[in-house]
Amino acid sequence: MIAIRGLHKRFPNGTDVLRGIDLTIDDGEIVALIGRSGSGKTTLLRCMNFLEDYDAGDIELDGATLWYRTDPTGRRVRMSESAIRARRQQMGIVFQQYNLFPHMTALENVYLGPCESQRRPVAEARAAAQALLERVGLGAKTGAYPFQLSGGEQQRVAIARALAMRPKVLLLDEITSALDPELVGEVLEVIRGLVLDRMMMVIVTHELNFAREVSHRIAYLSQGRIVEIGPPADIFDRPQDPTLKEFLRRVR
Amino acid sequence: MLILLVKGAMATLVLGVAGIAGGTALGVVLAALSFTRPWPLRSAYRLYVFLARGTPVLVLALLVFYGLAAMSIAVGPYVAGSIVLVIYASAFFAEVFRGGVLAIPAAQVESARSLGLPPLAFFRKIIAPIAFRYALPPYVNVCVMIIKASSVLSIISVWELTLAAREIIERTLDVFTVLGTAAALYFLMCFAVDRLGRRTERDLMRRGFMPERA
Repeated sequence: MIAIRGLHKRFPNGTDVLRGIDLTIDDGEIVALIGRSGSGKTTLLRCMNFLEDYDAGDIELDGATLWYRTDPTGRRVRMSESAIRARRQQMGIVFQQYNLFPHMTALENVYLGPCESQRRPVAEARAAAQALLERVGLGAKTGAYPFQLSGGEQQRVAIARALAMRPKVLLLDEITSALDPELVGEVLEVIRGLVLDRMMMVIVTHELNFAREVSHRIAYLSQGRIVEIGPPADIFDRPQDPTLKEFLRRVR
Repeated sequence: MLILLVKGAMATLVLGVAGIAGGTALGVVLAALSFTRPWPLRSAYRLYVFLARGTPVLVLALLVFYGLAAMSIAVGPYVAGSIVLVIYASAFFAEVFRGGVLAIPAAQVESARSLGLPPLAFFRKIIAPIAFRYALPPYVNVCVMIIKASSVLSIISVWELTLAAREIIERTLDVFTVLGTAAALYFLMCFAVDRLGRRTERDLMRRGFMPERA
């Protein structure tokens, strides 16, 4: 379970991107974050695995506070780098631009983390990577370099790479936004498969139909706050907040 | 005459390889220094680069030659010459490697961070290979420069191609044939280095190091 309490973040330029986010996500739950660009949804996701730091608030995973601790004098300080590394492995993230390592084959991309970060035996990690790539439909392309793969294929490798760490949560940051329309389907199909596995997921997306289909709850963000949250049917069919109504009218 | 010049070219090649190998090793360490957190280390890095890069090779050669003598350290001319080239090359290489690291897309670094890679693996598997790819063309540049810079070592009595040429000219007075041949030999060596660099670049591309696409 993830519990986020009172998350605040101010960018160095003085903008308050997150102004007090409270959000609890249960095991096996899928929450989609929607909202217009600049609403803070991607920043929230990036704070969750500490690619961004934040100024106040707590993020807990299974009851343990992440990223910051309180030192004996009561000050809030970053955890040690090794503690941060260990906790990051529990939070897989998939990026909009795939971000595969260009000099590694699909297979190498997937087993790098398990081998180097989790010290799993190479043979075992390779076999697991092979199985994961087969699962995302790329069993025949394990030896291909990213530049030899289509966007959709690269993104599926990126999903396999995140899953290879056996994370407790999967964070998906607009994973279909950079794809050609005809490639979106194959990536979403992989995510549908994970839904059946009851993988805890937080999804930032502009694919509202997809969000509605897979999520248990939708959180609508505006100006750094969660303005409305609830089951997809409530958010999409009975929106309360006027800015949400406006947002839905525009994207439809 | 030609045999003597080719021998000189061999000596130049040995000096060049020593300078490039030593300079690369020292350059990697220096570049790493430039990314450390404590400011004295970073200042030391900048000072070293300023000094080593801002001194003409000729002056640097004389400094090393007389410096070693003043400290009564007896080394042969080749060792002294190699030291000069290593110092000179390391400053340029360090900046080339620093540039390579800075060119790594932030996205790659984030991916590696999100996998929780420990520092050594992060450097070995991600930073070093990608930075090397970006640094390769300027790296080859510096290699060529070092081979040519070795010619000034003749001033501290390092016998290499240029000194060989001058000796032959003193005997034969055939200035243009001798210098022309020497120049051709320098060109040949630099050309070979350039080709080697291009081939490495092509090999890397086949192994996934494609130029960034927008």
